[in-house]
Order: sequence, then C-alpha cells, then structure tokens
Amino acid sequence: MRERGETHPHPLQEPRYPGPITLARLEEIFRDCVDFVHRTVQVGEDPRHTLTLCYLSGMVRMERVSDYLMRPMAQDPVLARCAGVAPMMERMRQGALYNLTVEERDRLDQVVFDLVAGWCVLLFPGESTVLSCFVGTEEKRSVSAPDNETVLKGAKDAFVESVRTNTSIVRRHLKAPELRIQEQIVGRQSATLVDILYIEGITNPHLVEQVAAQLRDIDIDGVFSTGAIEEYIVPAAHTPFPLIQYTERSDRFCAGLAQGRVGILIDGIPLGYLAPAVLGNFLQAPQDKSSNWLLATALTVLRYFCMLTTLLLPALYIAMVTFHQEMIPTRLALSIIAAKQNVPFRSAFEVIVLLIAFEILQEAGLRLPQSIGQTVSIIGGLVVGSAAVEAKIVSPAVLIVVAVAGIAGYTMPSQELGGALRIWRFVLVLLSSAAGLFGAVIGIAVLIVHLAGLESFGVPYLTPFAVSTGPATREHVLLRRPMPQVKNRPAALKPRNRRKQR
Amino acid sequence: MKKRILLVLLLMLLLTGCRRYSGFLPYAREIEDMELIRTLGVDTAGDAGVTITASGGTSQEETQVVSGEAGTISAAVLELQGEGSSYLYFGHVTQLLLGEGLAQQGVMPSLNYVLRDVEMRLETALYVVRGGTAGQAIEAAAADGSATDRLEALADDAGLTANSMPRTVKDVLAELDRQGASFLPAVLADGGLTAAGYGILKDGVLVGWAEGDAALGVNLIFGKVDADVVEVQAPDGTAAALRVVGAATSVRPIWQGDTLAGLKVHCKVDANLAEGSAMPDQATLDALEVELAQVEAERMAQALELSRALDADYLGLRQSAAFAVPWHKEALLGSYSMKDLKLEATAGAVIQRSYHADG
Repeated sequence: MRERGETHPHPLQEPRYPGPITLARLEEIFRDCVDFVHRTVQVGEDPRHTLTLCYLSGMVRMERVSDYLMRPMAQDPVLARCAGVAPMMERMRQGALYNLTVEERDRLDQVVFDLVAGWCVLLFPGESTVLSCFVGTEEKRSVSAPDNETVLKGAKDAFVESVRTNTSIVRRHLKAPELRIQEQIVGRQSATLVDILYIEGITNPHLVEQVAAQLRDIDIDGVFSTGAIEEYIVPAAHTPFPLIQYTERSDRFCAGLAQGRVGILIDGIPLGYLAPAVLGNFLQAPQDKSSNWLLATALTVLRYFCMLTTLLLPALYIAMVTFHQEMIPTRLALSIIAAKQNVPFRSAFEVIVLLIAFEILQEAGLRLPQSIGQTVSIIGGLVVGSAAVEAKIVSPAVLIVVAVAGIAGYTMPSQELGGALRIWRFVLVLLSSAAGLFGAVIGIAVLIVHLAGLESFGVPYLTPFAVSTGPATREHVLLRRPMPQVKNRPAALKPRNRRKQR
Repeated sequence: MKKRILLVLLLMLLLTGCRRYSGFLPYAREIEDMELIRTLGVDTAGDAGVTITASGGTSQEETQVVSGEAGTISAAVLELQGEGSSYLYFGHVTQLLLGEGLAQQGVMPSLNYVLRDVEMRLETALYVVRGGTAGQAIEAAAADGSATDRLEALADDAGLTANSMPRTVKDVLAELDRQGASFLPAVLADGGLTAAGYGILKDGVLVGWAEGDAALGVNLIFGKVDADVVEVQAPDGTAAALRVVGAATSVRPIWQGDTLAGLKVHCKVDANLAEGSAMPDQATLDALEVELAQVEAERMAQALELSRALDADYLGLRQSAAFAVPWHKEALLGSYSMKDLKLEATAGAVIQRSYHADG
C-alpha cells in the first residue's frame, strides 16, 4: 500500500504526440500559443499546389524564411511546372529550396520538436510526410573570457550557452577528425540537447557507453540547472565530494578529452563537464599547465596543505586546547590562556559559533550584489570580529583559527571540493569536541573510508593515492613533472592509446 | 552494514584507555582553567616524606609558587591541586629541581614519578640545588622574576657559562640504568640560580660534585666547549686567550693481558687565538698549543679522578670504550667499577686561526 502523499511513477509516453501530421493537429498542439504562425503559399498557377508553412515566431530568422524558402517557391519555374504535390516535394527535398538543411519528417513528434527548435515546416496537401527546414535564429552571447577561471596564459574562449557554439569551439581546439560528438535530448519539458564528446581511438569506449547510458536513463522535466545532469549521471549521490569536473575553459576541456576523458556539453549551460574525475583533478588549477613545473608543483603542494588546514585546523585547535594541552608549545599555551581570560564560552562552542558565522557571512556576501557583498564582508569580518574580540565574547585565537581555516578553503580550485571540505570540517569539529584527538582521528578514518569507497565512472576516487596506476610516470597529481617526461595518458582512464607523445 | 561500522567505531572509543574518567570519552578541561606549572621542585621533608614546590607563569606576569607536603610525590601534587582555584597542569613542566638533601637520599623516586606520570615529560631538564632546597631556589628565583626563565636562560646560554650542560630526566635515567652512575647540573639556591658545576649520582644517590676545572673537564669529555676560553702564557711572556671551538674525545681501553687495566681518554681540541699577538710565528703557536693541551688534559684528569675516587662511571667511559672496541664489550661492560682502573687523560691541541684581522 502506498504511503499517503507518495505519487505514482509517470512513464514516458512514446510517441508523445500521436497521429497524422496535419495543420489541424499542429494547431491543436500549439493552441493558445501566440507565436505559432502558419501561412499558405501557392506554388505556380495551380491552386491545388497550395502548401502550408508553419513556424514559431521568434524562433526562426525571418530573412532565411523569405530568402531560402519563400523566394524559390514563388519564383522557381521548375517547381511551378511540377505535375503534382509529390514531385514538387521531392524536387524541394533535392535542392529547389535554398536552405542548407531540409529534412523529410514522417512523425508528428519530430515535427513538433522541430518547430520548437526553430525549424520551419512545409505541409503538402494530401501527403503524410512534411519537409522541415532549419531556419533558426542564432541569437547568443558572444564568446568571451571565462568569468570564474582566471586566465593569465592561455585561450580566453570560454564556453557559452549555445551547445553548437561550444562544440565548434572544441572543434577549433581539437581538429582531429576522430573527435566524436554524440547528441541526446534530455528533459521532457526542456528537451535539452546534451552532447557527449570524446576522441575515438583514445577514450575507452566502455566509458563512453557508460556516460551515454547514464544520460539515456535521465527522465526528468527539464535541465534548468547543472544539478539536473550532475546528480543523475554521477553514480554515488551520497557524498558531498564532486565526482565530475566542470570547467568553463575550452582549452582545459579539450586537454581532458585528449587525456582520454569523456566530455559533456549541455545546451543552455556555459560549462563543459569531464568524466571521470578523481580527487587530484579538483586540486589542480587550470593555470598549472601554463606555469613552470616547479612553481606549479609548489602551488599544488600548498593546495594540499591548505586542504588539510581547512579540514583539520579547527578540530585540532579544539582537541588541543580542550583535551591535549601538552601538545601546545608552552609559550603558545600561555598566550592562548592569556587571550581566553574572561571569555565566557567554551572553546568548542566558540569555534562552532564562529564557523557558522563565517558561513553566514559567506552566504550573505554571495547573495547580495557585489558592491553590497563587500560591505557585508567588511562589516561582518572586521567590525563585528574585532568588536567581539574586544568585548571578550570570542578569543582572538579562535578568530584566527577559523579565519585561517576559511581562507585556506578558498585556495581550492573547485568550489564543490571546498564545499565538501566545509561540511566535513563541521563533522570533525563536533567529533573533536566530544572526544578530542580520538574523535578527530575517527572522523578522519571515516572520511578516508568514505573517499576510498567512491568511484567516478569506474575510476577509484583516491587514484593514485590509494590505487596503484603502474610504474609509469604519473600525470600531475601532487607533483607536476616537466611535460616532456610525462609520456603516457593516465592509466586509470584505461585509454585505447596509452602513449601521448613521441 | 553501516550500523555495524558505527557500532565498531563506538566500541573503538572504549579502547582509548580513558574510561577512568567520566564515561568512555576523554575528559575535557578548558585551557584557560589551568595554571601551567613550568618548574617543579622536590625536597625531602624528613619523616613527612617529600615537599613539592611548583612554579608557573612567566616573568611578564606574576609568578605563582605553591608548595605541598606529603608522603609521596603523587600525594603532594594532589595536595597542591587543592590550593589554587585553577587546575595545576604539569604537562608543561620543563625543569625539575631536586634539593641536595633529597638527592643524597636518592633521586630514583622523583625520576620514576616523571617516568610514570601521564602529564610529565622525560625531556624535562633536571637540576640539583647545591647547598639548599629546591623550594628555596624556586622561591628565591621567583622573587627576582621566574625560576623557569632563569633556568631556561641557563640552559640556552650554557655555551656562555661554560660550566653547565643541560641534562634531561631521560638522559639521567638511561645512564643510571646503563652504567649505574650519572651527573646532573647543579645550581645554587640564590636568586640568580647560579650554575655550580655538576652533581654526581651513583646508584641513584648524590655522591659528589664536579666543580671548577673538573666540571670543565666533564664538558670537554662530552665535547660541550662552546665558550671555553683558556688563558695561557706565550713564550714572550704575554698573555694569550684561546677560545676552544671544538673537542673530540676518544676512549681506549688499556689491557694487561686479558684484564682491563685502565682507560685512556684522549681529546683533540681545536682553538682560535682570541687575544694575544696578532700574527704569532709557528714556534709561538706550537708553544701555545702545548700549553693548551696541558690545561685541557689537567681538567680532564680532574674529572677522571672524581670518577675513580667515587668509583662511579658517571662519564660513561666504559660505554665509550666498548663502542671503540666492541669485540671487548663483555669485559668492558661487565662491571661498573672504576676504582681499580688507571685513568689517563691526554690532549692534543690545534690553533686554527687568530681572530685578529691579519691572522
């Protein structure tokens, strides 16, 4: 028996719009749609040769309709001399129309979605099939530099909302004809185009099939946010850690494809997704490959250090000042004691409250317009913080610990990873408040077990830390080696062609 | 499955050994509720047992000195806890002072307390108070700042005083266990806690003092000559100051047949000419080196004589000799006795350079 409030599954209806392709049927489907337009066009002198042209206003480019469709129908003498509708249709299909794309459709579903996508449909009297011509508008944002991934040295053509523009950008970077672009439609209502990109001969075909199968399984209303795809194709949803990497930089996306990873581009979302992704990928900044290898290595090590700092520092502080005071150097312990005199709250409470305050400030800063957001940060961080310290409500040591942990978290190149670390930071703080270092160590052990259990499309998440990838020189994980030394693609991706340079 | 994992993790908490506190979780205590004890003094209280004197704080703030008396150190520490409003925390004790009277009765109970107590550390520096009690020394130092700061300065500036070398509880315990004797730095019970050579322990009891040249000889044998300045007379009658900058000592056994007859301690000393003739000739240098070697050999001889007289291998000479000739290890380490051994001290000196700009 179903629980109260639980809804029934809603199987996908195929075809969604059954029936013949007629104007009446189209009018029924697009009833109350002010943008649905149809007009009749008589070809030649014979009134029986009257065609119906249907399109959605605003979705098509009028000049194309006029020049590529209307003009040949009105002026082409060969069309006017056609003996019947069927030969006329065949003639149009073969090239009488100037339009680049002319397709014959025999299913109403196809016709309906063509209209929505900016196609123009020609209905021929007495014919069960129609001709569909793409005359869509190409109104889109121009390609510009990425907003969120700063580029110092490198291509500045970031992805835009149009998936076709994005595939063209990728094609310009990856001119290999082996670049494959498969397309699927996701979302019952949004009917969003989702493209799968990979390089045949390099990418593991099982991986491609796995990604394609995950996409095929998605049966949702629409793709209006990135989560609509991410949460459905990522195998393990019960983790805050990101299992698929995104980027708005086309060069980074193409580098991923050349590594043997599978790319996903979604119409309407100016991001490219790369799968699979392991923990190390989220600690690499796009700039690393452009920097000197020594500098990139030092910065990567710094990022790992910052990851541990943001995760562990508040928990270790609580453990040390509450349970294991012998761990603190004597002079530092004396400073902490002096700073905490007359502060009414326990250390654990102070840390938890300040961590929450930090999150609130961050959230407030993000939600407000940029200019006001900065004001909030200044008021919250500087004014309230210093006032709280002066009023002996919080101790300066706790303020420093929470601020350092927070700032260390901002060094994470991936916002998703930073968010996951913030969640786990709270968990570790609670555990260390209860049991000191024992609690923190147990929390860390659970975290490692959790991470070790994660897989991204068959690749263990802790590769290569927990899983050997063979003796070959590894790709950039902790140390970025000079590029001439890295001869092979990552073994964990099981590429068809291991070698990537001479 | 997840419930099982959770259960196992909860059971693991029980293995942490903290059940003696309330519940199975470790006991939390806020750091601001603590008074960090940094110097601990232990004295004998006759039949009453021991007297504990504890000092906390830095010179920047008022130094807190508390004391308690009980049959054992543990009981005395417990008594101390009841005196103040804060919890006295002994995890940051960096100096342990033993009164002369207690040291003459035996230091092992005090050292064992450090070994066993969960808060105390074996890296704690150990001192004996010569001619007084640890309590007097701590009180006197507290009146003039802080015993902790004074002793820390003493340890940090050991190279400047040249007659004191820091020793930890771990060093002394290990040597008492290994060779039955050890030594520890001595301080006077004055306000400045002046360094006063070394106290010599045998079988855990204070049996003698190494002071003056003997203390310098101990430093030389252990290579601690950071600031040893030796004044000698040059052949032309002028005074020369030689700053000893390095010493390497080797110990070799002397055999009579298969029997160990003695130990020969040889020290190679490196020195720089700190004061004196700007550019001495080779003959002058040779003469200065001979003078220096004689002085250093004499110092070592005094330290060795103490070892022989007290029949205590407090310098670990047998151990050093065993390192040099490990195939005679059994004969060398079979006994702790030193009184029947002939102990020879020799030294060779090299003057490396002069501090003079032309040197």
